[in-house]
Formats: sequence, C-alpha cells, structure tokens
Amino acid sequence: MTMKTIDDININERLYQLNLGPQHPSTHGVLHFLLTLDGEVVVKAEMLIGYTHRGHEKMAENRIYEQFYPNSARMDYLSGMIFNTGYCEAVEKLCGIEVPKRARYIRVITSELNRVASHLLGVMDFVMGIGAYTPFLYGWDDREIILDLLETITGSRLTYNYSRFGGVRVDIDQTFCDSARRFIDRMRERFKLYNDLITGNIIFIKRTVGVGVISKDVALDYGVTGPTLRGSGVNYDVRKSEPYSSYEDFNFEIPTKEEGDCMARYLVRLAEIEQSLRIIEQAMNNLPDGPIRADVPCFITPPAGDCYHSFESARGAVGYYIVSDGTRIPYRLKVRAPSFSNLFVMSKIIPGHFVADLVAIFGSIDVTVPEIDR
Amino acid sequence: MNMTQLPIIKDIYGFLGPDLLVGVVGLLLVLIFVPLNSAFLVWVERKVAGHIQLRPGPMEVGPHGILQSLIDAVKLMCKEMITPDLADKPLFWMAPCIVVIPAIVCFVVIPFSPVMQIRELNVGILLIFAFSSISGLSIMMGGWASNNKYSLIGAVRAVAQSIAYEIPLLLSTMSVIIMSNSFKMSQIVSDQSTVWNFILQPVAAIIFIICSTAETNRAPFDLVEAESELVSGFHTEYTGMRDALFFMAEYTAMFIASSMAVVLFFGGWHGPFFSGIVWFVLKAYFLVFVTVWIRWTFPRLRFDQLMNFAWKVLIPISLLNLLVTAIVIKVL
Amino acid sequence: MNTSYGFKQYVKEIFTGSKSLIIGMGITLKHMFKPIVTVQYPRQKPIMTPHFRGHIEAIIFDDTKSHHCVACGLCARTCPSHVIKVQGEKTKAGDRKYGKQYFIDFTKCSLCGLCVDVCPEKTLKFSDEYELAFYSRWDGVMDIMQRLEERK
Repeated sequence: MTMKTIDDININERLYQLNLGPQHPSTHGVLHFLLTLDGEVVVKAEMLIGYTHRGHEKMAENRIYEQFYPNSARMDYLSGMIFNTGYCEAVEKLCGIEVPKRARYIRVITSELNRVASHLLGVMDFVMGIGAYTPFLYGWDDREIILDLLETITGSRLTYNYSRFGGVRVDIDQTFCDSARRFIDRMRERFKLYNDLITGNIIFIKRTVGVGVISKDVALDYGVTGPTLRGSGVNYDVRKSEPYSSYEDFNFEIPTKEEGDCMARYLVRLAEIEQSLRIIEQAMNNLPDGPIRADVPCFITPPAGDCYHSFESARGAVGYYIVSDGTRIPYRLKVRAPSFSNLFVMSKIIPGHFVADLVAIFGSIDVTVPEIDR
Repeated sequence: MNMTQLPIIKDIYGFLGPDLLVGVVGLLLVLIFVPLNSAFLVWVERKVAGHIQLRPGPMEVGPHGILQSLIDAVKLMCKEMITPDLADKPLFWMAPCIVVIPAIVCFVVIPFSPVMQIRELNVGILLIFAFSSISGLSIMMGGWASNNKYSLIGAVRAVAQSIAYEIPLLLSTMSVIIMSNSFKMSQIVSDQSTVWNFILQPVAAIIFIICSTAETNRAPFDLVEAESELVSGFHTEYTGMRDALFFMAEYTAMFIASSMAVVLFFGGWHGPFFSGIVWFVLKAYFLVFVTVWIRWTFPRLRFDQLMNFAWKVLIPISLLNLLVTAIVIKVL
Repeated sequence: MNTSYGFKQYVKEIFTGSKSLIIGMGITLKHMFKPIVTVQYPRQKPIMTPHFRGHIEAIIFDDTKSHHCVACGLCARTCPSHVIKVQGEKTKAGDRKYGKQYFIDFTKCSLCGLCVDVCPEKTLKFSDEYELAFYSRWDGVMDIMQRLEERK
C-alpha cells in the first residue's frame, strides 16, 4: 500500500484516499482508517493500529503477579473492574485458590455495575457519532451515579484495583446496597426517556436500520464476540456457556437479535443493561455473610503450568492465558482482547457504504482502542 | 436649465436626498447590528445547549457568561491566520469575505416595522433568494481552495444540498405570494393584519422553516460541517478571523431566514397592543431559538437521505400545496 | 425515504416520523427547565468519600505521635512503578529501625494501593487530596515524613 502524493495523482482516476486519521473527533481512541473512496462510497478500508501500544504483556514478564493489578484495569479502562476481576480469577484458577462466596457475589455486583456503565458510554458514543449530542449527556448523567457508587467502596472512578487474589479488598455495606437499589429504580425509568428520544426517532431509524449488516457466518469467521455477535443472531455469552464466579446462581437472559445491523446491536446493548440490573438485584438480595478474602500469602508463587480463563467484558469474550514457571514472575501473560476481532470485521462489511455510515458502524461495534493495542 | 429638463435631472440625480440618507444610515445600523447579533446568538446557542444538556453553559466571563462571545472575538482576532502552502491563495482569501456580504445585503429589504425599511423594492423576496444562493458559491470556493479532501467533500455536499432545498423554499413562498398578489415584502405584511399566514398555510410554513434550516446548513442538515465525520468540513483550514467570518455569516443567515419566516408567515410587525419593531424582533428571535433547539435534539441525516427527503418528500408536498392554494384562490 | 414499498407506507411514515420528532423536541424542552446536575468546581468543591484514593500519606498514631514506619522496604519492592524510596536509621543498636525519609514521586504514582496493602505496620493511608499541582517536575517528589510534620 503506497501513499500518494499530490504529484502522482492522475486526474482521470476516480478513486482517492482519505485518512480518517489517528486524531479525529469521532473515532474514540487513536485509530487510523485508510479509506479508498469513490465519491462518497467506500471501496476499501484498512485499519492501522498500534498507536497506543504500551507493552502491557511485556511488562507482565518483568513484574510479580501482584504488581500487574494496575495494568489489568488500564487495558480496557471502560470495563476496568471486569478485567481486574478476571485477572484475579485466572491466577486463582492456576493456583487452585477457593474464593469465599461473599467475595464472589461482591465481584458479580461490581462487575455488572461496570458493565452497565460501559454500555451506557458505548451506546451514547454511538449516538453522538450519528449527530445527536444531547442523549450523550443524559446517559453520562446516569453513568455518573454508578461511578460515584463504585468510588465509595473502591476509591477511584475508572481504574479500580478492587479485586485481590482470593477475594476483594474492601467490604460493601448497607448504604452501598441502598444506593444501588435507588440507582436500579432510576435506571429502569430512564429507559422510557431513551426510547422516546433516540430509538423512536425517525432520523435515527433511517440512519441505523439496514446499515452495517454483519451476517452470522461473517461474524463467526472473524471471531466476533459480545453484543456485536449477539446482534447477529448467535446466542453466545461466556457467563452462560462457561460460568465463572457463581454466575450460575443467577437467573438472567441473553438478549439476541437476528438482523445484525446497527439498530440490532444498539437494542442488544440496551437490553443487556436491563439484564445486568436484574443480576445486581438478585445478588444483593441473596448476599451471604462471611469473609471477603481467602487466606492467601502476600506474594504468591503459583505452581508451574498454564491456564486460560475467559470471561465476558462489555465488549466481548476476554481471555487471560498465563504461563507460569514456578517463580513469582509469570513467564508469559497473553490477553485476548475482544475489540481486536470485532474491529477487523469492519474491513469486510464497509465496502459499499458511505463515509457517514462508517462512523455509525464503528460506533455500533463499540471498540476500545487501547484494548486492541495493549 | 429650463422647466422641461427638470424631470430628467430629477430622474438622474433623484437618488440623492432622503433616499440616500436613509440608505446610508440604515446600512450603518445594519453593520453595527450584524456582529452584535452573531455574538448574542453564539451566547444564546451555548446557553440553550447547556441547559438542554443539564449544565449551565458559560458562566465565568461576565454575569452568566454574557461577555464570553466578546472575549472569543478578541481571541479570534489575535490568532494567526494560517494559509496552507498549496492552497489557492486568491480564492482562499476571498471566500470568507464573499460569504458574509449577501447576508448583510439581505437586511435592506426586510420590513422591520411600518416605517423602518431601508429600501422598498418591488421584487424584495427575489432579492433575498438571489443573495442567499451566492453563499453556496463561497462555500464551494472555501472548500476547493483549502486543498484538503475533507473540505472538498464538505463543499461538494453543501452545493448539492443548497440547490436541492431551494426549490421547496421557493414553492412554499409562491403560495404566500399568490395569496397577496405581490412580491413586495411590506405588502405581504400588511395583508396579514387580520389573520397571520401561518393559520392559512400551515404546510407551507413548516416546509419553509425546514428548508431554511437546510439552506443555512444547520442541524439536522449539517452534514456539510459535521463535526463527527469531517472535522468541520469546508472551514477546517480557516483559522482566526476568517473562521469568525464564516460563523458570523452562518448566524446572520439564520437571523435572516427567521425574519423571512416572520414576514411571510407570522405577521411581520403585527402585534396585540401596538405594532412595531419590538414584535418583529421578538418573533424572529423566537424562531432562532426554535432552530437552536432543533439542533441539539436530533441526529443528522445522511447525505443521500437528505437529498431523498428534499426531492421525494418536500417538493411533492409543496407542489400540492401550491396547487391547492391556486385552486382555492381562483374558486373563492 | 424509499418509495419502493408503496404510497400508503410513504404517507404513514411521514406522520409517524413527524410525531417522533415532536416527542423528541418535547423531551429536550422539558429538560431545559430542570436544575443543572454539574458541580461548579472552583466555587463548589465535592466532598471525597472515606475510601477515596488520593495521594499517599502517613498516619499519625497516638503512642508515638508520629508514624510507625520501620523502613522494611516492602512498599518500595511492591510498587509497580518504582516510585518509593525509603531511608531508615537506627538510633542505637538493638533498637527498631525508624523511617527517617520517605520519598514518593507523585508524578508517577498510579494510586494502585499496593504499598498501603502490603505494609506490615499499616502506617500508610490514602489522603483525600486531589488538588496537587506543581510548577516543576521535581516538586512532585515529596517527603511524606516531612508532610506529616507539617500536618501536626
């Protein structure tokens, strides 16, 4: 792929290249699209990644297991709690540590709150890319409540280092549960507002129905997971197929839609918010008493071996593959980021759409770029 | 000089005298009003956007942020006016100037009150439509001369949109013109002394408002300068005072479009207790507020949907409206 | 507006579309008159929660009227960003070591809390300060024990 300069542009040639470059108001994250356009229609789209590569996996090879906690949350900062918990669970799986039940329920509550916050942000960023700037702020008003709620127990709003090996760091109390219940009631009323303002809006329907259709075969070929996959008709969620952290105790559904266009993915995310609220309610109602952390040495030394643990973040199925050689420093730690597979499906479905649709499709797939580059 | 030559001299030099004085004073007032109006409208837009989004908007500079636009203007004047290396210099420099002039000229024929109209033209409405089409030319110039693909895409979209949406605009105005039987703006306003045209021609009013929103490139038709996609479209490469001129032209055009809607459909300067300029200004600013409110509510239309909307929905409806009006006027 | 599906659909779409637009406009108008939800920062400062992770400070204990740091160096070894440096001294042989100087480079601290968790004497805690701004990079390297003396 060679870049063209102004000297070798043939005036008779129809196609031209446009960089929806690394800095752009609507690619949330630093992502470089190299588009080949014919008028307004995209003929070819290439995604160039790597602008935010920070070397997390290499950092893991030089640090002991505990020192990796901050890194795990910073890979996908919008689901920081889920990534953190997942890392702890992966190491616990490797060492064979049994986590007390109260800690598992607390992990579920905080992970689901994080999922709601991430979906609110993802959906509202999608709507902002289409052009409506106001629902973005209404969604963030709700998200602010979740962030304040999680700040009362963990201490920070985005990169929580809350889970530890064997459990969680700080216990939750009755005020937290009451505030969470108030939030659940408020969120259930807000769905009507979002349906009136966004989902029913004729302009929004025209922009998203039939746009960016990912068929089932294409999705399965590219390894797409998460709400993007569930919007194309495949009923796969890691929380149901390989339950971890006592998700099998809860009663929830996996919303699925058949069409595979932007509207389907948007509706799947909204429905998932409702299911997460159900899980939080059930977990809080049945919260057992007990210790919040198992008895784990300060610096753990896992036995030699490897383990793969997968869990469901807001964007799809994440995997941690840890290879240990018996010392306190991992030999290799590999993260399978869902946004990586989700993003590259775009190069298959974009040709034939307009530039305006590209922004809509990119928003509906809900990618976090630092997770791709790690 | 004898008595037979006096009429000829009057014809040639007739413009000197009261008309010229009115013209000069009026234009001076307009030139003072236009920057103040755009500064005020920038503040109104930011405050309305803020309150719709549950936040206060500018609050720091001056009470409730009212001096914010003034300070922004000072900032823009101090900025460096960068010209890209490969830009087409004459066109690049001319584009911001040309975009502001039609907007100012349109003020000449608008009847603000029974006595305040700078110049009474027999074809006042045509003048306004003619001048608002010139802004399309300047957008094309700005987009082409920037030597930037984003600007070019934005400019091309702007021209197509401008041409497409002029037709329903004219057709809905024609319905009003048929009713009052003249192109004179003051005549149209005087004909609305008993009942406003908005009641008699609701469809035409709505189409006029939609088309004027599209002509001034405001949301939801603002694909031309869509921030999420094109990083400001045709005015990406303009910095400093040139950018300020584009904004000034946009807000002035918005005010002109609202004034036109007020004159044609909402009764002009008529009001309950006294007639005058106060009602005109109030109604015009209310329509400007409606435009701002619409911008912060709806997503934007994709380009082909925009063109479909103009050609397949607005034009048939406005033609139908014109037909019905003509039949009703002829029969009754 | 695709007219491939008939005239009736076309007319119906115009009406439902307009109705949805008017509903949307009503919602934003209603929100325009609601009170604002943002905190006007310099004039209203939010109060931090008890667990808030501000920058590290040492706890003042009642028995020594000062900290309990014994300069074991566990925090310096645990820190992922390697920003802690502890200097200890013994007043006389056979006595406990006493942490004399404790430098943290606040510009690089990621507020992970590992030092607070691992300390055997539990002498560190999070403060609720978030308004730290410096004029130069070196001002960010602070001695916690000195700040403790200033706080007393």
